Amino acid sequence: MENGSISVSNLTRTYRNRINALDNISFSVNGGDFVTMIGRSGSGKSSLLNILGCLDTPSDGSVHLNGRLVNYQNRSELIQIRQRSIGFIFQHFNLIPHLTAQENVEYPLLFNYHPREERQRRASELLERVGLSSRSDHYPNEMSGGEQQRVAIARALVHHPTIILADEPTGNLDSKTSSDIFQLMRQVNEERKTTFFVVTHEREYRSFADRCLELSDGGLFEC
Amino acid sequence: MLNQLTDFAILAFHQVKKKKMRVLLTALGIAIGIAAVIGIFSLGEGIRYSATESIRQQTDLTLIEVTPDVRDGVIIPISPSKEEAIRLIPHIEAAGGIYTISFATKRQTNVGVVGTRRDDFIRIFGTTPLKGDVFATGSHDIVTGRDIATTLQKYEGIRLGDTAVVTIRRYDASGLPQDQSSEITIRGIFGERNDQFDNLVLMDQDTVREFRGNPPSYDAVYVRVDSPDHVFSVVEDIRALGLTAKGPFEQIDAVNRLMDTVVLFLSLFAAISLVIGALMIINTMIISVMERTREIGISMAIGANRTDIITLIMLECLYIGIAGGILGIVLGIVFSACINTIGKAYLISAMGDVFAGFTRMDLTLVTPGILLMGFGIAVALSLLAGIYPALKAAHMNPVDAIRNG
Repeated sequence: MENGSISVSNLTRTYRNRINALDNISFSVNGGDFVTMIGRSGSGKSSLLNILGCLDTPSDGSVHLNGRLVNYQNRSELIQIRQRSIGFIFQHFNLIPHLTAQENVEYPLLFNYHPREERQRRASELLERVGLSSRSDHYPNEMSGGEQQRVAIARALVHHPTIILADEPTGNLDSKTSSDIFQLMRQVNEERKTTFFVVTHEREYRSFADRCLELSDGGLFEC
Repeated sequence: MLNQLTDFAILAFHQVKKKKMRVLLTALGIAIGIAAVIGIFSLGEGIRYSATESIRQQTDLTLIEVTPDVRDGVIIPISPSKEEAIRLIPHIEAAGGIYTISFATKRQTNVGVVGTRRDDFIRIFGTTPLKGDVFATGSHDIVTGRDIATTLQKYEGIRLGDTAVVTIRRYDASGLPQDQSSEITIRGIFGERNDQFDNLVLMDQDTVREFRGNPPSYDAVYVRVDSPDHVFSVVEDIRALGLTAKGPFEQIDAVNRLMDTVVLFLSLFAAISLVIGALMIINTMIISVMERTREIGISMAIGANRTDIITLIMLECLYIGIAGGILGIVLGIVFSACINTIGKAYLISAMGDVFAGFTRMDLTLVTPGILLMGFGIAVALSLLAGIYPALKAAHMNPVDAIRNG
């Protein structure tokens, strides 16, 4: 059953220079929760997010996504999890520059293949949901940062993932726009019961979340 | 699967369209190599065609002489059953076994004689241009070649209709010569042929066989092929019977072998420009992959696997190849036309009369086959050049690619 839960136990990530980015971390998140994680630069937030997003491999410990143990040795399984269960939102929006807003939202469904009509239908729906129907033909460089991040949110949702991982999604936005983006993410979380795991260094957005975790010196605390 | 590929093709096309100038210049790199290949092959094909055409016009191409073959030191004779087997080869209009012998005239003019059946003679050589008549079966009548007729008239005083005594030399079992005299009558004279038959005499087969002491197998078989286009297939079939085929077609064989060598040699130079073209594609695609490091990382993060990335990069190379192929064909046709006009004028002025025959012919011949080959090389080379950049892209680490791209 794909319930959006995340469970991490004794997770350690050691890089080649022998620094432990993550040191024996354990926590779990219930499906449908909106969780923010705060921490200083270099506290291991991105390392954790990359492992949860199946882009990086832990040095030790285990991760359960949707109640299932992730086998980090199996490349095709990792790709399948990324295609079906996880949506990414990045700090730098990371839209494909030569594709329009509409095409950017459709993009993940090219790999996790859905026919054109289905892709277009879902993308239009989501662009409307994030309030950018009128901008669907625009390229990323014709949109403001806030608009680009809305498109990125729509892209992260297009394949109906159970978990959204956001890496400082408001890091490049002013405070008004940041607040709007958090509001939008929270609304989507409530409408769709999608788990949101949002890494941020701004404590003020704690109020949007069900839970807040703080990562410091390789350890994890509730805040 | 096919739908996905179509959508990938559209996506890759957008990528290529964005970098029109770069793609065009890269394609031009390949196109120049392709144009050189097309120019060289069309020159080879043109000379081959001109030479073959003049051989066709100047020789009796559809006449083949089949002779026994020596294999592993054993002569494979032409028995009457072999003659029958030759007759059954497709596209053969007529075939007849022959015996050979030689006459000496009173003033020691030596004449090569071919003994053939009257019917075969008519079907193989026809009755025109023939002055006089064909020999009758069982007679001592002969039909002479043009040159030998002149010689006989000049030095022996023997003309059409005259009868003369000739000596036939045979060797007995102990190797001693045994001469036999016989009367012959010139019944007909061939028109000019410009081949060996100008110096040969044809006579009734039974008569010659008797002169020869009734040997069990033929000395050769003359074959008439129904059309010049079927000569080489008939030659193949004859060789398959374990026999040797001779005739004017050998000149075409020789031209083909020569042109194959020349074209192969010249192609080495074209190959150098193709290698440079391929290196340009590798360079362009590596730059393109580097520029899009982040994009590739994002694609992997949101679900693209290595095959997807490789497919997308290879599709871009395919477009470069198609553009290079089309451009190469256009340049190749122009290049061939240049060789034809400039090269022909130079050749004629430099070689003089020898090549005067080329004034009415084209020096180059661009065939659809050559153009198709040029296009194929362009596409194949582009795909080959794309392998390394594609693998490089597919093996990126998505985390690093997104962070550093």
